[in-house]
Amino acid sequence: MNSSKGNHLDQSLEKNIKKLDVQKQPDRDLWKGIEHALEQTSERAGYIKEVHQDNQKRIFSNPKPLLAMVASLMILAVVGWMSFESGKSLLSENLVATLSEQHNVQKQSLLIRFKDQPATTDNWQQQIDDLDEAAEAIKGALAEDPNNNALLKILKNVYEQQMTIIERVHEPRWNHI
Amino acid sequence: MNHKLSVFDTQDYQIAEKNLQDKALLDAAKLGDKTAFKSLYELHVGRVYGLCFRLCADKSLAEDATQEVFIQLWRNLGNFDGNSQFSTWLHSVTSNVTISYIRKQRGWWQKMFSIEQTSAMEKEAIGSIADSNLEQYIYRLPERARWVFVLHAIEGYRHEEIATILDVAVGTSKAQFHRAKGLIQGWIDDE
Repeated sequence: MNSSKGNHLDQSLEKNIKKLDVQKQPDRDLWKGIEHALEQTSERAGYIKEVHQDNQKRIFSNPKPLLAMVASLMILAVVGWMSFESGKSLLSENLVATLSEQHNVQKQSLLIRFKDQPATTDNWQQQIDDLDEAAEAIKGALAEDPNNNALLKILKNVYEQQMTIIERVHEPRWNHI
Repeated sequence: MNHKLSVFDTQDYQIAEKNLQDKALLDAAKLGDKTAFKSLYELHVGRVYGLCFRLCADKSLAEDATQEVFIQLWRNLGNFDGNSQFSTWLHSVTSNVTISYIRKQRGWWQKMFSIEQTSAMEKEAIGSIADSNLEQYIYRLPERARWVFVLHAIEGYRHEEIATILDVAVGTSKAQFHRAKGLIQGWIDDE
């Protein structure tokens, strides 16, 4: 800290600065939100400890960007393979199932990661359900037209939207507390 | 023998008593005592919110930043080594967390516009708050100039410290301070 603060200020300005009250009281009770966040911190610390004890769940204790990257690459590989093999309807049906399975694994891992984190909106689960319904409808259409690349892309897009929603609503923004 | 305390002694006594109180609460909070931490919050929220408000120039953002400060404080209580006063350390945490928080809250699209334009918009938002003219002038300052002015002129940070907090050159901090001072003096002259 500078003991000679304000040395370069004009005397009148310095005088006014000294008159300023450094304290201000907030209009609303901020402690409630802080307390809520502290409880979340404690619960999450306990959860992480629990997960560390379980080797099968270890991957969720410290979410790594690498995991997301690998998952994304797998999806890309599956979709790429689907495009290449789009002429073979039987394979395509299997690929839709593989794509859906991959997505479900990723979605569940995200939901587990954020299970103790408050969501910033109330209706995010409804949005996820709506997209699930959309995905089912697209899969129904793909069953009748397995070689339809446009439908495959739409399905992939729906899955990506779900992942984006889950990540976005669980971003820690204390102004939503 | 005169047992009456002089004004100076009384102030020293009050500061020492406050430091002891902080230390006791801090020790309890470090052990996970949330009630003690709440007492620390109640003792210091006015000072923290005051600094947040001047840095943010926005009531809602200042409230959020204040919450973020105390949340970060709880998570990092163990980092306080006790070599300085708790209040000094807390103000340093407040400055760093608030600046970082403001930056995080800025959407990428806001970065596409000038800081001055954003500040001009903020000015409208806080115009209804009853404060001294100087207080209002501080809120009118462009963001970076305001940060430097608040930290240097009001909080007493050296330009070297401000440069570290804001991740700018020392010269930039000095330039922003002179710019802020010039703007405020100009507004005072226009009164």
